[in-house]
Amino acid sequence: MLALKELLNSRLKFGLIALAIGLVVSLTMLMAAMSEGLISGMTGAKESLQADLLVFQGDTQLSLERSLLSAADLDQIRNTSGVDDVYPVGHAMASVETGSGNFDARVLGLGGHLEQLPIVEGAGGPLGRGDAIVDVTAKAEGVSIGDTVRLSPIDRELTIVGFTEGRRYVMSPTFYVDMGTWEDLYLASALAPVDTAAGGGSGAVRGPFSGSASIAAVTIAGPHDAASVEALAARLGDRFEVTTPEKAAMAGNGMSVMVLAVDGIQVVSLIIGALVIGVFFYVTTLHKTGQIAAIKALGASNGYVGRQLMLQVTILVAVAAAIGIVLALGLGSAMPPAMAFEPQLQSWLTSLVAVFLMAHLGSLFSLRAILAVDPASALNRTEP
Amino acid sequence: MSLLEVRRLSHRYGDGEAAVTALDEVSFSLDQGLLLAILGPSGSGKTTLLSIIAGLLTPTSGEVVLDGQAVHLHSAREAARFRRRNVGIVFQEYHLIPYLTARENLLLVPHLRGRITEEDRARADSLLGEFGLGARARHKPAQLSGGERQRVAIARAFMNQPAVMLVDEPTSHLDTERGRQVLQLLRDHIHGRAMTCVMVTHDQRMTDQADQTVRLVDGVVQS
Repeated sequence: MLALKELLNSRLKFGLIALAIGLVVSLTMLMAAMSEGLISGMTGAKESLQADLLVFQGDTQLSLERSLLSAADLDQIRNTSGVDDVYPVGHAMASVETGSGNFDARVLGLGGHLEQLPIVEGAGGPLGRGDAIVDVTAKAEGVSIGDTVRLSPIDRELTIVGFTEGRRYVMSPTFYVDMGTWEDLYLASALAPVDTAAGGGSGAVRGPFSGSASIAAVTIAGPHDAASVEALAARLGDRFEVTTPEKAAMAGNGMSVMVLAVDGIQVVSLIIGALVIGVFFYVTTLHKTGQIAAIKALGASNGYVGRQLMLQVTILVAVAAAIGIVLALGLGSAMPPAMAFEPQLQSWLTSLVAVFLMAHLGSLFSLRAILAVDPASALNRTEP
Repeated sequence: MSLLEVRRLSHRYGDGEAAVTALDEVSFSLDQGLLLAILGPSGSGKTTLLSIIAGLLTPTSGEVVLDGQAVHLHSAREAARFRRRNVGIVFQEYHLIPYLTARENLLLVPHLRGRITEEDRARADSLLGEFGLGARARHKPAQLSGGERQRVAIARAFMNQPAVMLVDEPTSHLDTERGRQVLQLLRDHIHGRAMTCVMVTHDQRMTDQADQTVRLVDGVVQS
């Protein structure tokens, strides 16, 4: 009764504080969505590789850019006990020419399991030589189904046959091609200095390179527990680095530092929110100690006055959450596509639960002050 | 048998050399249906006495027995329950809840007890009518005059049909005439309901409304 009546009576005061908390809520939600967008944009193509384990060349710190496995390596992995299935994954960097300019892209060659790519437009696998399925973010660069784009400076062309989604890498759209196409692009890029040198020729290198890949995507046989993964890694030996796609996604490119920074902003926002709500209720409580004392003197228990405070905090946070969601969605939709913004229900729910808990934590000082109010002070006890 | 008995009540604030004696061996009794005025200057201990009778303060020694119950033996929780059921308090500063209407301020009392019944609503309306506040029932304290606020505060104290009503300096914010009117109204309602009332005041002119008077000076009852 009292909590709600006071809120309704002081709509402006509580409305303004709800707006302030709502801004904090929207900030934490935007940060959560940007964190998701950052992770997805930086690692989507790597993280969503369909495999139990990814095998990298040894001493490359799980770097997709630096790892290179020979055909013999791939055979060794394929023949290791406990391995059920292996397909090669090749990686190359490229600059894509369009009518309006160039944009950076990543090329991933998949030696199988093309069905893992969710097709949002056009065709899926199998892919012919020179065909590519591209992450849908490339549309923003002017790429369409049926287009033939030119890769520079290696003078190769790819024809877009389909669009997939959630498959960016280092914030660039990924072009999925077959392993033959990848090999050609990779060598063209890597051996360009040899080919262009006077009297040069890379023919002698190309033969032994055939059948190589950047990494191997492995499905293991039997149980998928941590012990089985460790055992397989031990069997593969020190020449390889083995990890899960999820762990591989967070390795390299400063990912852990970036995610830590964004998560840090979220935590700071939550602390600010808790402080704002804590200070607001504390000051409000100090202003009405006489009123609280009178209510206690009339027979209200500490439990009753405490519940009124917590009810007010809960209502305020609920209103603030609604404001925050609207603001976050509004600001999110106004963001340019280049901004990494991918709201996820789970991370937003986590943000809301965190705001709810922090707000109640912040109000504990007020609760303590309320419980400490002496009902006798309601009577005019100026005398000793 | 007396409704209220105060027996050898003493209270000290602080310890050691800094200790101040607010009440010293105060004793009196009050029969049901009477209005007692505790008269004394500022600092005489009268509000301390009122706080102890209300169960808001635990005395250093002595006892208060109200309707056969030892008030001073209650825990804080029990004391709150005791006040909800047996005590009506009129504060000097009124302490009306600013965001509640006059009617809602009255209904706060049964709300604190548990839930508001139709009987409670009827009683609140009846009391507001009796105190000349029928037309002001939906007004908030800020929209009421000082006298009206005082009457709302008194009506609120009647809501739980208390065994004893405790009134703190009821006329301090009113001029003499309005103060006398309010006290007359209070006295009429107390006598009309055969209720018992303890009122503290520093205003000697108001004692003519009381059935019984106790004079306190420096915490000691003056005969």
